[in-house]
Amino acid sequence: MRLPVLSMLVCAASAAAQSPDFAPPVRLMAGDKFLGGGRMYPSPVWHDLNGDGVLDVVVGDLPGRLTVAYGARGAATTYGPDEKVLGADGKQVDLHNW
Amino acid sequence: MSPQFVDFDADGRLDIVAGIFDGSPHLVRGTEKGWGAPEQILDRDGQRIVFNKFWNFDTKKWDETKRCDPDGHTPSQGGLLTSAVAFDVDGDGDLDLVCGDHYTGAVLARINEGTAKAPRFAAKNTVVHAAGKPIDVPGTVATVRLVDWNGDGLQDLVCGGMGDPYGTSTGGGVFLFPNVGTKAKAEFGAMVTLLEASAKGMATATRPDVGLHPDFADVDGDGDLDMVVGGYSLWSPPTPVLTAAQEQRVKELKAELDKASARLQTFYRSLDEQVKGLAEEAADAKRSELLTAKKDDLQAWSKQRQELQKELDPMIPGQKRESFVWLYENRAAAGKPATPR
Repeated sequence: MRLPVLSMLVCAASAAAQSPDFAPPVRLMAGDKFLGGGRMYPSPVWHDLNGDGVLDVVVGDLPGRLTVAYGARGAATTYGPDEKVLGADGKQVDLHNW
Repeated sequence: MSPQFVDFDADGRLDIVAGIFDGSPHLVRGTEKGWGAPEQILDRDGQRIVFNKFWNFDTKKWDETKRCDPDGHTPSQGGLLTSAVAFDVDGDGDLDLVCGDHYTGAVLARINEGTAKAPRFAAKNTVVHAAGKPIDVPGTVATVRLVDWNGDGLQDLVCGGMGDPYGTSTGGGVFLFPNVGTKAKAEFGAMVTLLEASAKGMATATRPDVGLHPDFADVDGDGDLDMVVGGYSLWSPPTPVLTAAQEQRVKELKAELDKASARLQTFYRSLDEQVKGLAEEAADAKRSELLTAKKDDLQAWSKQRQELQKELDPMIPGQKRESFVWLYENRAAAGKPATPR
């Protein structure tokens, strides 16, 4: 979990970014399922969680649970199945509410 | 909640900061062994950082306070902090907290009066302004994010809007508040719409309509920032023309669903009657006991309702509400206009 080089790359990329002219949106997949499907208020964040130089999508939700869909190398916006983000205790990271 | 990966305590390791639905910001520290146990981020006096409403873990009820209200500022209604990012608002070299209000469009900050390595957060919130006025995100705040959208080296503030979560009123959008200040002090300019608030009313899932949670990165490597947005899509599929046999079956299914609903209502009315007059703790225990005793029946009833609804759905499709994560590819590099709307 050292600070990744990727964050610097994102900053460099942002230097050229100006426009909000987006293509029509498409739903991201995690394996063969919709990413965020069945989650309460899914909140995705791009982050290289496993430090392999590829952006993954970490998804939080209203109950406070974190999952990750790992990005595939060489295939932008292709992600593997959603998996639990595990803490040092081996359990899912869970910022539970009440 | 929108987790933010950030070195919260300047120890060289990434941590996770997130505002969650209990009304407070939380921290998951990155350690040598991995992610630590989640903890509440407290203020300098050891108090929870909240707006107004919060889940009281001692009484196990929603509670409300005014102790954190910004000086000279009276919120129009009780605020609920459900999103937070760590950001050096005042340019003093340590991370403050910028938090969004689920109930209004307000964004409030909690200034770090300590240091980068030893944060000590103020006891009161501070109103965050944009273009000289308090920020008021259309459709209330689902989340707050940071991104250097215009590549000037300053972190801009982005807010995802909640919108009307169930009804037909306007949904949420994504809104940018560009940082027009300096590295020494953030100052936010007038709101720019990155994604219009949803008008809803589509026949298929076409976009995130409510509870928008955006994030940004150049995922396709073309030199501009793409956007990912989580949220609920609401849509109403067109009703098909039914045969006489299908119409008959619809009547039967609706009657069975009504019967199933009535059975559940009867059970819960009976449950309320049986705990009536008991002290709170005894009532909770009795309710739990009765629910446990009826657990198998409740599961069977729920399964039956799901099966009935599943059969009815293609013939009488009601409004759909499902959660997804959507990718918005930025076409700026394809020669599109480079000026935000």
